[in-house]
Amino acid sequence: MLGAWFDYTVNGFVIGNIYALLAVGLALIYGVANLVNFAHGSVYVVGAYVGWAAITYLGTPLPVTLLCVVVVCALVGVGIERLGLRPLHGASRIAPLLATIGIALVLDQVVQLIFSPDPRAVPMQVPDWRITLGGGTIGALDLLIAGIGLTSAAVLYGFLRFTKLGWAVRATAQDSDAAKQMGVDTDRVNLVVFAIASALSGISGVLVGMYYNQINPAMSFEATLKGIVALIIGGLGNVPGAIGGSLILGLTESYGIALFGTSYRNLFAFVLLIAMLVWRPNGLFAARRSLPPEPMTGTFIARSRPLKVPSWAVAVVILLAALLPLLDAPYLLQIGANSLMYAMLALSLTLVAGTVGQVSLGHAALLAIGGYASGLLALDAGWPVAVAIPAAGLITAALGTLLVFPAFRLTGHYVSIATLGIGEIVSLVILNWTGLTRGAIGLGGIPPLEVFGYDLGSVQGTYWLCLVVLVLLALLQVRLLNSHLGRSWRAIRDDSVAARSYGVSGDRYKALAFGYGGFAAGISGAITAHAYSYINHETFGATISILALTMVILGGLGNVVGAVLGATLLIALPEAFRFLAEYRILIYGIVLLLLIRFRPQGLMGTV
Amino acid sequence: MSAPLLRLEAINSFYGPVQVHFDLSLVVEAGQIVCLLGGNASGKSTSMKTVLGLQRPGSGKVWFDGADITGLPTPRIIRSGIGSVPEARRLFGAMTVRENLLMGAYTRSDKPGIAADEDRVLGLFPRLRERLKQRAGTMSGGEQQMLAMARALMGRPKLICMDEPTMGLSPLFVDRVLELIQAINREGVTIFMVEQNASLALGIAHYGYVLQTGRIALEGPAAALLRDPRIRDAYLGGAAA
Amino acid sequence: MAPILEVRGLRKHFGGVTAVADATLDLHEGELLSIIGPNGAGKTTLFNLISGLDLPDAGSVRLFGQDATGAPPERLAGLGMARTFQHGRVFGNLSVLDNVLVGAHSRLRAVKPAVPIIGPLLEFALAAIRPAAVRAEEAALRADAIRILSVFGDRLIPRLDHPAFSLSYANRRRVEIARALALHPRLLLLDEPTAGMNQTETVEMQEVVADLKRSGLTILLIEHKLEMVMRLSDRVIVMDNGNRIAEGLPQEVRRDPAVIEAYLGHRATGGAAAGAAVEPAP
Repeated sequence: MLGAWFDYTVNGFVIGNIYALLAVGLALIYGVANLVNFAHGSVYVVGAYVGWAAITYLGTPLPVTLLCVVVVCALVGVGIERLGLRPLHGASRIAPLLATIGIALVLDQVVQLIFSPDPRAVPMQVPDWRITLGGGTIGALDLLIAGIGLTSAAVLYGFLRFTKLGWAVRATAQDSDAAKQMGVDTDRVNLVVFAIASALSGISGVLVGMYYNQINPAMSFEATLKGIVALIIGGLGNVPGAIGGSLILGLTESYGIALFGTSYRNLFAFVLLIAMLVWRPNGLFAARRSLPPEPMTGTFIARSRPLKVPSWAVAVVILLAALLPLLDAPYLLQIGANSLMYAMLALSLTLVAGTVGQVSLGHAALLAIGGYASGLLALDAGWPVAVAIPAAGLITAALGTLLVFPAFRLTGHYVSIATLGIGEIVSLVILNWTGLTRGAIGLGGIPPLEVFGYDLGSVQGTYWLCLVVLVLLALLQVRLLNSHLGRSWRAIRDDSVAARSYGVSGDRYKALAFGYGGFAAGISGAITAHAYSYINHETFGATISILALTMVILGGLGNVVGAVLGATLLIALPEAFRFLAEYRILIYGIVLLLLIRFRPQGLMGTV
Repeated sequence: MSAPLLRLEAINSFYGPVQVHFDLSLVVEAGQIVCLLGGNASGKSTSMKTVLGLQRPGSGKVWFDGADITGLPTPRIIRSGIGSVPEARRLFGAMTVRENLLMGAYTRSDKPGIAADEDRVLGLFPRLRERLKQRAGTMSGGEQQMLAMARALMGRPKLICMDEPTMGLSPLFVDRVLELIQAINREGVTIFMVEQNASLALGIAHYGYVLQTGRIALEGPAAALLRDPRIRDAYLGGAAA
Repeated sequence: MAPILEVRGLRKHFGGVTAVADATLDLHEGELLSIIGPNGAGKTTLFNLISGLDLPDAGSVRLFGQDATGAPPERLAGLGMARTFQHGRVFGNLSVLDNVLVGAHSRLRAVKPAVPIIGPLLEFALAAIRPAAVRAEEAALRADAIRILSVFGDRLIPRLDHPAFSLSYANRRRVEIARALALHPRLLLLDEPTAGMNQTETVEMQEVVADLKRSGLTILLIEHKLEMVMRLSDRVIVMDNGNRIAEGLPQEVRRDPAVIEAYLGHRATGGAAAGAAVEPAP
């Protein structure tokens, strides 16, 4: 019994070391660039695959394998900073954050295209012996990982404390303008930090590959998340804190698994994340509270004057869209219906991220809540579909607002991290609450769309229903934006402090925005569930959240017409280029990056 | 007469859509203390940023030591021989006093020279010697201001730009800081100083400029400016009573 | 009669630096009280403490007879306090008119019900349905906003639809003041309303503030331009290093040697320079 606990502790420490290699890099990057690098896990995957390729094709011994990983990942890091982020100096505040998301999409897809999405086994490069200690055991790999973790920490400490460049890194992290005025080339410091952080991330990837004896391109997302959780526990930008946070996270997960089983592991991590964000947003090791600095007015989103679309043109487009089914092209209609469902999600996100400035990275969770609510109401409670769908919208509005409520006092990056975590929690709850959601089996046999006896299960029916719902939602949203609510939402986004000074309470209006956003997204998820007849906990994954964000940026943040246009373009265009299907997500990533760089206000302009 | 050490020539700068400087020209002669006076938002801090390369002017030129430094990146401008004492000091608060001093010598690589200068600077600011291992952020405002000046000196600059060096200091420290500025100047370092506090700055300066909404409203030798009744109108604002 | 604003022993530290050491002041109805002092004296921090943007380490604030120490800014706005910011915090992507309308936010009837959940839902419904009463209220607010903006002549009226980020510095400051007035405040806090303005604009703003005072509004003013302070203030408080070093009628304060020293420079004490800077030209 005691031996088992010893093993769990060892396991927790080893995982903690792996997280530390990730989180330390995130902390360094946050320090000098004021940015949570959402591409960090992607570099880790690159590291894992470079290690695998070196061993498999070149037969490299362990030190050479690690050297290859360090060199390639450092170069990738340099590329991310130099090509992806530096051109964004002086852009709106959310631009670099969105750019790292785009970079993550691109890197993941490139890895997948080169190495295929199938899992690979990383050959073990350390002897397979274990020492028995007090009933538990420690293996050579455990010692290697701990050794690399400790060595990296020591080297990093020495670098930061005793070298000139290390001082420059610390000085830049504390005050980059002042560092420049000491003659520090902060651009170079940024490059160096990205190189170091990426190298550490790559090492982490290859070690994980050996530890679990398996790698796949999809593991980047979880790595980014875990690194961020550890970072938040330690405090953003706090390097020693990141190491402490990682060990705490590793041990929590390991003991959690011991007590409750493997499927709860990530749930612990994300609940810990949200708890930290709510109670100790500055991390366990800091106690600093400061007033947000006075922002330059309107720097959150790109300044622009939105294109005004005359209402007759909108009416004509709606009419044409309504006539589309007459063409008798079921495939086209199917794409149309899909676009419309996504457009509802984009409406919701453009309100929350664009109008109110809360860049949600977990928006697909609202679809999941809506889909499951409507599906279960129809299946288990026997409600008519036409009642279940709006009820699901209301449930999503209430539940979504309630879930994000703890994050309302957060700003900027913290909101994105919190929503990402909340999104993951929703999906994990769906997976684990078997009694209600049927767990991993998913929800099958969801009744088809029908409205009071009229069967809308056909492609035409689905399309028409989606069109009507979308038009109603869009009109309502425009109406709200033209009321005092729209004014208040945008005021909070532009300057929440000034807004509060005029009585515009952040909590109240964020709640209303998430409420309406939850309603629209919930309806979208519900319709999707009935149209597909089957959903599971992976139907509405993180990729959809990112896709929705790309749509919203493409259309122009906060812009209702833009959201619909963005959704239509991103769903319909890939269909037109079907031969590129393999590259679809890669193209999304590139579109996102190009938009942020060259047309941050999107096609229709930010509102 | 030799060429001036620093010259701003017809600078027009912008902050977003808003113009901050209108054809701003000024000159800092080597060996002098020159102050640029003006109220809040008169554009004086932007002038400092323009010299240091933190803000690129829309048009106009900045000359330093005979070279055109307009639009150069800040680190290169610092390397060319300019030290900076930023507004609100901007120390590296989590680093020790000694580390802050060594950051000031970042552009140099002559270890013996740096060590010698550290000793010399600490001679000028004996209070800092007692606190070498202390974190800079835990010191009082006056001590922080001294460290900021000492840090700038460590780079062996020809010119030190000071942005409101007396801001937020107690009277005791204000006097001390002003004496130190004069002491630094006596060692041959030229000082270009932005100040709000007119008579105080003019009391130690050789030459002064008064900036008002981005234009030079008044200039002259410090002693003459001190006696000039127009300074009140130009600087404290409002029409004559 | 009880003062509108009573500040007692307010204190605030940031790291090793004391921003406000011990601030005490009373402000009575209809009065214009100015706070002057050199940069970094703690004036803006004091404003932030009074207006709920920062929490004091010690001391108390009473507003309209109620305890308002550390109260959130939303509540203070509801009580009738409006403030402007030192660097003009307008809502950059909102039009001039919308900026001013945000100022009127706490007057909206839809915003009033403070019942949790029901209140916001009702507000949402009113915004979506927009019954005649709501439309009438909105129209009245718009008319009021335009009336307020016309205080600045034709500086802003032709720019009602322009986004605030496109405005000049001086116009942003005007928008801020219009936004504050739209709250129909009983107490107005102005943080350097003429910063960055040239002579003509300063005189114009001085007239605007003088008119506000004449209309009976109670005003707390931070200002650097002494001319304006001397002309408008009923009383002046001088701060230096987070301390109140003098308080009194403008003429008294002007002659106080401690003030001359703190505000105009220690070297100048009693010298010709101080005379030139402080006394009006004969």
